[in-house]
Amino acid sequence: MIPEVKSHPPGAPEETRSEVVSSYLSAEVRISVRGLNFWYAGKQALFDNNLEVKTNKVTAIIGPSGCGKSTHIRVYNRIYKLYREQHAEGEVLLDGRSIMGEVDFIELRRKIGMIFQQPTPFPMSAFENVAYGLKLHYRMSKGELADRVEKAFRDAALWDEVKDKLDAPATALSGGQQQRLCIARALAVEPEVLLMDEPTSAIDPLATAKIEELIESLKRTYTLVIVTHNMQQAARISDFTAFFLEGRVIEYGITRQIFTNPSRKETENYITGRFG
Amino acid sequence: MRRKSRNARKGLDGLVKALSSLAALTGIVFLVWIICEVLIRGAQAFNWSFFTALPAPPGTERGGVAGAILGTVGIIALASVIGIPVGIFGGTYLSEFGGNRFGGVVRFAGNVMMGVPSIVIGLFAYGVIVLTLGHFSGYAGAVALAIIMLPVIARTTEDMLALVPNALRESALALGSPRWKATAAILFRAAKSGLITGVLLAVARVSGETAPLLFTALNSPFWPRDLNQPTANLTVTIFNYAMSPYQDWQRIAWGASLLIMAAVLALNVFTRVVLRERKR
Repeated sequence: MIPEVKSHPPGAPEETRSEVVSSYLSAEVRISVRGLNFWYAGKQALFDNNLEVKTNKVTAIIGPSGCGKSTHIRVYNRIYKLYREQHAEGEVLLDGRSIMGEVDFIELRRKIGMIFQQPTPFPMSAFENVAYGLKLHYRMSKGELADRVEKAFRDAALWDEVKDKLDAPATALSGGQQQRLCIARALAVEPEVLLMDEPTSAIDPLATAKIEELIESLKRTYTLVIVTHNMQQAARISDFTAFFLEGRVIEYGITRQIFTNPSRKETENYITGRFG
Repeated sequence: MRRKSRNARKGLDGLVKALSSLAALTGIVFLVWIICEVLIRGAQAFNWSFFTALPAPPGTERGGVAGAILGTVGIIALASVIGIPVGIFGGTYLSEFGGNRFGGVVRFAGNVMMGVPSIVIGLFAYGVIVLTLGHFSGYAGAVALAIIMLPVIARTTEDMLALVPNALRESALALGSPRWKATAAILFRAAKSGLITGVLLAVARVSGETAPLLFTALNSPFWPRDLNQPTANLTVTIFNYAMSPYQDWQRIAWGASLLIMAAVLALNVFTRVVLRERKR
């Protein structure tokens, strides 16, 4: 029995839908991926990926485990270069400029922040965690640093919870707080894009709800790409969705369309829970 | 097919437990025995002149190891100044950048070096430094000890950095951190207690080394004014005095043994306390 997925979500009257769609489609392209291939020690993991990430939108990447979701976004900030056996070919453009050649990784990674599956607080105080990135990229007075750290914590909706324990080790925070600390740390350096690699899969549902709320508010300022194995999450928070399968982009489009009226059989099978 | 007997299984379990307990006990018995023996015999040697006087002829009862204490501290300090940074940087290279062929060669060489008998390293320092300079010196002793420390520190540093999760490395780099800064500011901090433990292990290990000092620092009845001459040290003093026929010299050898043992123990306890307090 196939669940009914073709109906429109509540609260989306038919007449406004086309306006929404056209506003989506006219959004500026921030990251453009063309013919991206990727290899782990000679074993190919991505095949000819093409994708356009739109500015100030949330793009979700969904698909079963091992389909290359994380691998794909790990090319955007060239973090895969940490491992000598990993290799990428193809073109990725950020604001029209290639990031695949000899680029300044430090500036690239300032522009494209990343949040990981496990919260990764640095072994220092909460304040120093956020200050670390700021000090990497900017010269500023102590007072200014404190202001910028506070702003980052506020942007990550964490300030009220940490303002009294800024000097305590960041590892003493709860898992959800640690993840928002990582978001604050990434926001502090004023990126354009925030990549999130399954940011809520290691934390509890309440903390997840907070982070989803946060993502909703962040897209006003940032472009977000979120890898998730949670389809409901993708449907809730994203504007665009890419469905990956075995290293290929099977389908990419407006989230509501992907979830209500997928054009490919594989996508339909996945989102209706036939596999994955 | 028959079910295995429950009693046989229980019996075997009991036997294995008994044997392993016995083995553990054997180890502990000898450790306690050594500690007690050194404590009882060594404590008899402790008096004012033991800590303040230079060696004296047998029978005079006024001799001490003050010069040897200073000399040992000086030699170990210099060995640490050479061995610790090189060891830490070497281990960092192996962990962070040593995934290539060269790294493999260095790692293998380090393992071989750890197995080289310390007397061979003493001979090496003798051949390279003592023969070149034409005289025994504390410097040669320090270099020999530094060579012994090096692979120990490099190995523990590599192991400890390897224990730091890759996610931490990646998130530092993903913030736009240069590689060196991610390593120095974050990985070292994350691995701090392990690194300190490795360094202290190495210091403790060389504190008791005698053979490499026999051909290098040798020994001296005088105050160690500088390390560019034969330098008094505790381990060679123990070696010389323990082999002597004089009872008061033998007593001083026991005292010096106790001193080294206590110092190494204190070093270990101190680190544990400091690390525990930092963690809180």
